[in-house]
Amino acid sequence: MKKRIDPKRMESIVLGIISFLSLLILWQTAIWITGTTRFPSPTTVIVRFFRALVEPIGPYTVIGHVAWSFSRVFVGYSLAALLGITLGLTMGWFPYVRAAFKPLFDLLRPIAPLAWIPLAILWMGIEEKSKYFLIFVASFVPFTLNAYAGSIKADRQLIGAAKMLGAKNNQLFFKIVVPSSVPQIFSGAQVALSNAWMTMLAAEMIRSSYGIGWVIIAGQQVNDMAQMIASMIAIGIVGFLLATGMRLLERRFLVWNNQGI
Amino acid sequence: MEQSGNLDNSKMSCRNLTKSFPSKKQNFLILDGISFDVRENEFLVLFGPGQCGKTTLLYMLAGIEPPTSGEIRHGGKQVLEPDSSRAVVYQTMALFSWLTVKGNVEFGPKARGVSKERRERDTQHFIDLVGLTGFENSYPIQLSGGMKQRVGIARAYCNNPDVLLMDEPFGHLDAQTRYMMQESLEKIWQNEKRTVVFVTNNIEEAIFLADRIILLSNCPSRICAEYDIALPRPRSVMDPEFLRLRKEITAAMDRVVDKEGGQP
Repeated sequence: MKKRIDPKRMESIVLGIISFLSLLILWQTAIWITGTTRFPSPTTVIVRFFRALVEPIGPYTVIGHVAWSFSRVFVGYSLAALLGITLGLTMGWFPYVRAAFKPLFDLLRPIAPLAWIPLAILWMGIEEKSKYFLIFVASFVPFTLNAYAGSIKADRQLIGAAKMLGAKNNQLFFKIVVPSSVPQIFSGAQVALSNAWMTMLAAEMIRSSYGIGWVIIAGQQVNDMAQMIASMIAIGIVGFLLATGMRLLERRFLVWNNQGI
Repeated sequence: MEQSGNLDNSKMSCRNLTKSFPSKKQNFLILDGISFDVRENEFLVLFGPGQCGKTTLLYMLAGIEPPTSGEIRHGGKQVLEPDSSRAVVYQTMALFSWLTVKGNVEFGPKARGVSKERRERDTQHFIDLVGLTGFENSYPIQLSGGMKQRVGIARAYCNNPDVLLMDEPFGHLDAQTRYMMQESLEKIWQNEKRTVVFVTNNIEEAIFLADRIILLSNCPSRICAEYDIALPRPRSVMDPEFLRLRKEITAAMDRVVDKEGGQP
């Protein structure tokens, strides 16, 4: 037998479906009443969405475009994770790293990723590199900030306890500061992922020949609203799946921090 | 030094310890001229009213807090910094929440590079001794308060320290669990004799566990009295001699608090 679904959870699923259907019905009704042809009906959009899964738009199907977008996010995000976590953790623990990098970081931090677009294009061209760079910038800041907050707020008593048990300085960093910062790093990773996903769209909409952001722009150029909305739905679905994936990872790897879930 | 710090059975010695914390206007003196010895394998309880500086004194023995003046020696060597020959059990448990019970208990030996075979054996031995068999792979968050402190005790023991320093380890537990933990600790200590310095403000706990009780006064703390507790173990709180001691020490403490801490 399958696990039984808790009635409370069932209730919220049903309510979710009802509100979603209501939106579709309202939308469809509005189209009927006004008789407009300028805005697509939900049925058109849904049909277009499923067709886009198999029929190519430009070079690829929507799945192919999403895969391209995803690969861009993956490269920029992974680089940002590597450098951001390292910088954040060491800035929190080693005073000289903090003294050297914190002022610089604080100065660059408030510059929105989008402000880098023109410079990135002039500097690195319109191909992949500039997109990686923009996604990197967008996710680097939350990674660094959260790793830093985690390590600078590492529990002094635990550090004392480890020292008392005979841990050396490097062990204090790797065995206490780093693992105790993991929950904070995880919340940074979630923010970074949604930042990266959004910045990827902006970068693709400015200049690209494929990717889900490009599909929206391509729809705009031929005045095809159904295509635009269908790709927006694809973005929503992928974003939702990524966030859910992160939550599952957190549940799996942070058992020690989450009681009862 | 008025007394020899090298009595045969003396494990640690403190001479003329003072501790003051600087504040804006003046230095705030909390320990004033404390001298005592800790004997080999004894269960020494530092007992006194709340906020009297007992914990600070214990941290000074550990090497975590430096004394403002005076000297602490452990096995002939001056105590200047934390050292794995002394282990601390904390009131707040201070467990590593990302490690399992086993990971916590073996932390010290692992950090110090004890061989895997020896480490595994010791870890299991002390987990069994504190009664946590079967919980090796649980995380602290999955344990009750009493069980958490059992981990704290096993972790301290497993590092094979020369002296165990316990800072009100049962202070955060409910009364029932507290009694159970006191009995467990006594059994553990009988099985694995170590020198223990135990801080508490609970008189029953002090008499139940101690070979010797040092009574500290209110701030700034001085030693006001010392009691040798010769009752046979395991002790009963209903024993007439237990009750008599309890009366005597409580009265002594009340006098101290009235004299030094009473509001006019």
